[in-house]
Amino acid sequence: MTRAPDTASEPARLLPSGIAGLDTILKGGFLRGGIHLIQGDPGSGKTILGDQICFNHAAAGGTALFVTLLAESHERMLAHHQGLAFFDETLIPASVTYVSAYAVLEKEGLPGLLQLLRREVQARGASVLVLDGLITAEESAGSRREFKRFVHGLQAQAALTDCTMFLLSSTAPRPTPSEHTMVDGIVELASQLFGRSAERTLEVLKRRGLGFLRGRHSFRITDAGIVVFPRIEALLGKPTREDRIPEDKLPSGIPRLDDMLGGGLPENSTTMLVGPSGCGKTIAGLQFLGGCSADQPGLFFGLFETPARLHAKAKHLKLPIEQSIGAGHVEIIWQPMTEGVLDEIGNRMLDAVQRRKVRRLFLDGLNGLEELAVEPARLNRFIAALSNEFRGMGVATMFTHEADLLGPADLPMGGLALREVSGITENIVVMRFVELRTRLYRMVSVIKVRDSDFQHRMRCYRIGEGGITIDGDPERAEAILVEALGGRGLER
Amino acid sequence: MATILVVDDEFGIAEVLEAALTDAGHRVETAMNGRDGLQRLAKVVPDIIFLDYMMPVMNGPAMLREMQSTPAYQAVPVVMMSSLPEAVIAASSSGYRAFLRKPFVLRSVTDLIAEVLGTGTES
Repeated sequence: MTRAPDTASEPARLLPSGIAGLDTILKGGFLRGGIHLIQGDPGSGKTILGDQICFNHAAAGGTALFVTLLAESHERMLAHHQGLAFFDETLIPASVTYVSAYAVLEKEGLPGLLQLLRREVQARGASVLVLDGLITAEESAGSRREFKRFVHGLQAQAALTDCTMFLLSSTAPRPTPSEHTMVDGIVELASQLFGRSAERTLEVLKRRGLGFLRGRHSFRITDAGIVVFPRIEALLGKPTREDRIPEDKLPSGIPRLDDMLGGGLPENSTTMLVGPSGCGKTIAGLQFLGGCSADQPGLFFGLFETPARLHAKAKHLKLPIEQSIGAGHVEIIWQPMTEGVLDEIGNRMLDAVQRRKVRRLFLDGLNGLEELAVEPARLNRFIAALSNEFRGMGVATMFTHEADLLGPADLPMGGLALREVSGITENIVVMRFVELRTRLYRMVSVIKVRDSDFQHRMRCYRIGEGGITIDGDPERAEAILVEALGGRGLER
Repeated sequence: MATILVVDDEFGIAEVLEAALTDAGHRVETAMNGRDGLQRLAKVVPDIIFLDYMMPVMNGPAMLREMQSTPAYQAVPVVMMSSLPEAVIAASSSGYRAFLRKPFVLRSVTDLIAEVLGTGTES
C-alpha cells in the first residue's frame, strides 16, 4: 500500500514573522499553511506588517507573493517602504512578487480571484501570500455566504499549497463577522490616545490551537519597520528561571551601609533607594556599580541624567565606577523621558541584562517610568515581573524612588507611602533630609532587609570625594533629631 | 492524463483539487458523498478515486464496499483520505490502495497519482 507523508503527525509547524517581538507573542510564529487575518484602521501599519513578513520570509529563503485589491498602488507602496530596513530590492521579483488582482476580481468575481491566487501561488511556489484589501473582495461578494465560501476556499488552498496566507482588512465591526471564525488567527493593530500622546498596540485576538501572549502589546513603526514590544507582565508572567535564595551578601559600594544592612545586600535581591531629589540616590547607584568587574558586569539604566552628566558626576566625586566604565564592566543606557513606551523600555532593559550577563543593575528611577507610563496602574506589575526575572537571573537590582522626605523630622517617615512598592522589593533604604536651624542634614536608614537582621537606627551621611560617607555611629543623627524635635526625642 | 474522481464533503478541498488537477491536465469529477460518488461512477469509471473517510449520507468505507461488490469498479484504485490516523481507518476499512492523511499538500496528491497510476513523478 502507498502511503503519503503523514503530515498531521508532525509537530505544529510555525512560520516566523521575522519580527522578534511578534514571534515572542506568537510563541514562535504563525501556523504554517494557515490563514491569518491582520486587521486595523487605515494607517495602523497593516501593509507595512504584511510587506515586512514577505521580505523577512524571502530573506530566510522563502518565496512571497503580495496581492493587492484596490489598496495602494504597487509603485506608491514600494516608494513608501523603500526606506525601511527590511526592504531589499534585490529580492524583487524572484523572491517577493507584487500582483494586482483587482481587474480579475472585477471581471470574474470571487471565483476568478480564488483561481488566480491558487495559480499564482503554485506557479511561483509561494510559501507566503499577503492579500491586501480584503474589504474589496468582501464588497464584491453577492452575499455574506458567497464571501464565506471565498474564505473557505482560501483556507483549503492555504492548506493544500502549504502557503501561509495573510489577509489584510479594516478593523471588523462588532459583533465580529462570522467569516472571522473561519481563519486560523486574527491580529489587530490599533492606535490608542492617552491624553495627547498616542501608542500603537497589537493584539492577537485568535490563534487556533496554539498559545500566545494575551493582551495589547505596544509596537512602533521605525526605520527598521515594525518593532513589537511584548507586554512585560505577559512575557514574564512567570519567571523563566527559578528563584535562587541568596546565600551570600554583596557589598553595596558604601561600606557603612553594609554594616547597617547586616553585612551587605543579599545576592540577587532587589533594593529600593527612597528619598527626595538631591539626597544622593544616583551617587549611591554609581557606588553600587563601582564594584563591577569582568565577572560582575553592571548596567546603569537611567531616565534622568545623560551619560555625560553621570561621567562628570563620577569624575568630580572620584568614584571607582569611572574605571569600571573605562574597562567596559559597566554599560550606561539613557532613556530620555520625553516620550517612550513602557514595554519598549522593559524589553530594552531585559535585552541589555541578557546580552552582557549583567549581575548588578541600577535603575534610576521609578518616577521616570511613572511619568512615561500611559497606564501608571500597570507599573507595579511591570516592575514586579522584571524584578522576579532579574532575581532568577542572579542579578542584584537597585531602583530609586523619589519621595518627599524633607522638612521637620516630627514624623521621620511621614509622607512615605511604601505600601505600593514594598511588595516588589526585598530591601528598602531610606535617604532623607532633616532641617535644623539653617542647615539641612542628610540621614539614611534601613527599613527592610528580607529574612535578615539589620540595624534599625538612622545615621547621618555626607557627600564628597569618594561619594557617600556614612557616620560610624548613629549618635550625631540622634542629637540632631532630638534637637529638631524640641528635646522630645523620637520616642513619644 | 487521467480521469480522477474526488469524493469529499469538504467543498473547499474538492474545489481546489478539481481546479489544480484540471490545470495539471487531468479530467476531474467531484462528488459530495459516497452515494453521489457511486452515481458518478455509473457515468464514468475513473482511473483513480480520492475518497474521504467521513461523509454524510454514505461514508467512504460504505462506498468502497459497494465498489468492491461491483466487478466493474473493483480494479479502480482508491486513495482513502482522513484526518484520523491510518491505524483507525485500517481497523474499519480495507481494499483501498493508498492512504492520505489530512491535512495534506497538493504535492502529495500529484505524487500519489503518479505512483498509483505508474505515470512517473509529476510536478
